[in-house]
Amino acid sequence: MSEQRMYPGMSPDEKTTFAPYSAFDIPADLRELSGRYDVESMARRCRNFRYAEEWMMMMLGGWVATIPELPVKTGLGKVIWETAQAADVLGSRLPELRCGKKAVDASESANEGFAAVIQSISEPERPDLTIEKLVGPFDVLMPHLVDVYERTMRETDQICDAPTIELLDEIVRKHRRHIAWGQEVLDRLCDTDALRERRRARVAKLNDELIGCGGVTGTLGEETAALN
Amino acid sequence: MKRFLHHEELARDSRFIRQDNAQSTVLATMPDDVDTIVNAFEQFTPMIEESVRGTAAEALFEAYGPGFALTILNEPIDPDAPAGLTRLLLRMHGIFVGEVQALEGAARSLWDFPDAPWEFKMNMARQAWDEGRHVQIFEKLLTHLGGAVGMFPESTFLFEAACSDDPAMRVAGVNRALEGLACDVFRDMIKYADKTGDEKMRQAVDYVLADELTHVRFGSEWVREFTKDDPEHLKRTQEYRRSVDKQFSFGGARSDREDAAIPIAWEDRIEAGFTEEELKDLATLSGEGPTKKTLLEAARILRENHLEKRRTKESAATEEARS
Repeated sequence: MSEQRMYPGMSPDEKTTFAPYSAFDIPADLRELSGRYDVESMARRCRNFRYAEEWMMMMLGGWVATIPELPVKTGLGKVIWETAQAADVLGSRLPELRCGKKAVDASESANEGFAAVIQSISEPERPDLTIEKLVGPFDVLMPHLVDVYERTMRETDQICDAPTIELLDEIVRKHRRHIAWGQEVLDRLCDTDALRERRRARVAKLNDELIGCGGVTGTLGEETAALN
Repeated sequence: MKRFLHHEELARDSRFIRQDNAQSTVLATMPDDVDTIVNAFEQFTPMIEESVRGTAAEALFEAYGPGFALTILNEPIDPDAPAGLTRLLLRMHGIFVGEVQALEGAARSLWDFPDAPWEFKMNMARQAWDEGRHVQIFEKLLTHLGGAVGMFPESTFLFEAACSDDPAMRVAGVNRALEGLACDVFRDMIKYADKTGDEKMRQAVDYVLADELTHVRFGSEWVREFTKDDPEHLKRTQEYRRSVDKQFSFGGARSDREDAAIPIAWEDRIEAGFTEEELKDLATLSGEGPTKKTLLEAARILRENHLEKRRTKESAATEEARS
């Protein structure tokens, strides 16, 4: 440690007189000031994410009364609450991204195609369609969101946009738990080849629609191409 | 998925047995007249018999006749009373299915009212989680007491009565009337658990009661918000809540009367945001039903008629076998 360095201040008259000590010898911050998304595009992404979370929470709420399996009904309660919290924190980030104080409940679908995917996912209604209901959020939408959130966390500016990273990190942690729960339920429900085929067919149909519209941000194709 | 679900569409697994809601409706609107009550129950006897067949309530029906619910609802739960455990299980099972419907009501509000304010959705989402935990809690308490899911029939009267298509009325019915009733019932269950030294039940129900106070507060706040600047809407909403309160007073079984089986939990309700004025009104309207004396006399006549019918049937069968 150099004896000449004084903290804080740049010029001699700004410097205080205390000597540097070990707390200042922290490892250097190697993060670069660069990120794929500017303020405006990150705000748009947050609105897109919020749209997905809000509608997922609403459709899960609608299904509770139409699902006969009691452990699924009760288990969904927690997923609903944590998905609502996800939408809430995404909304609370919007005013911080120059969207105005009233933007906390602003949700926006990336395009008409993604809104149509949400409609497709929410379609099943009859009580004998628990498999078709659960496949949408737990096999298709949530894994897709986790994938996009993780990519967003990696690609955004690690210092400037750290608040978005923090909130997405927490949402991903909870969604991973939701996915594990939902897929365990689906594994148990799909205990014959015919039922497994129903699950597979539903996954394939919804994945096609999701890829077709470019996913939650509408830019899935471009982002994948850029990565390649 | 469509908006607004009919109570008959509530999905259940194969353990559940559905009961016609007509019986609950009759019970909620009875006058203070023995003959009227006896006639109403006699009329519903085939339906009541059908709904209890194969359930733990069948034994109560056989012993007390179609009016067994009158005895159960109008006597405080007493561990030393005859059939005390069956009656406790019947109440516990009633609470359990009530929690299932409360979960469905809160969760359904998220889908039924997509344009509601975000804070409303957050409150309903939180309530859905709470009610989901309550279902789990009461399923475990049912097992703890030796009971099981589906041992008694389920009436979907709660969902039918409280789940209005109007958001203000929905929260008035579910969050203020029914969650308020839950405060009364749970305070009574805590007293029962204290009396029997059942610490597991006492602590679990105490936590559930704490959640219910929060849900009542949600209701109070959203009724105010949804009816803001619309006194006519507020009046209709309050009338709706009063009608649900009246229906769920079970002819005075839940009231402030001295002979009430479930007293109004005055202090809990004040903490939850009910005003003194509202509680005085509740005490008046819930106490308007038939007296305990009337109900017990009706129950006695119904039991005698039932046993007489059973005796006649039995001797006819013996006669037929002999010939």
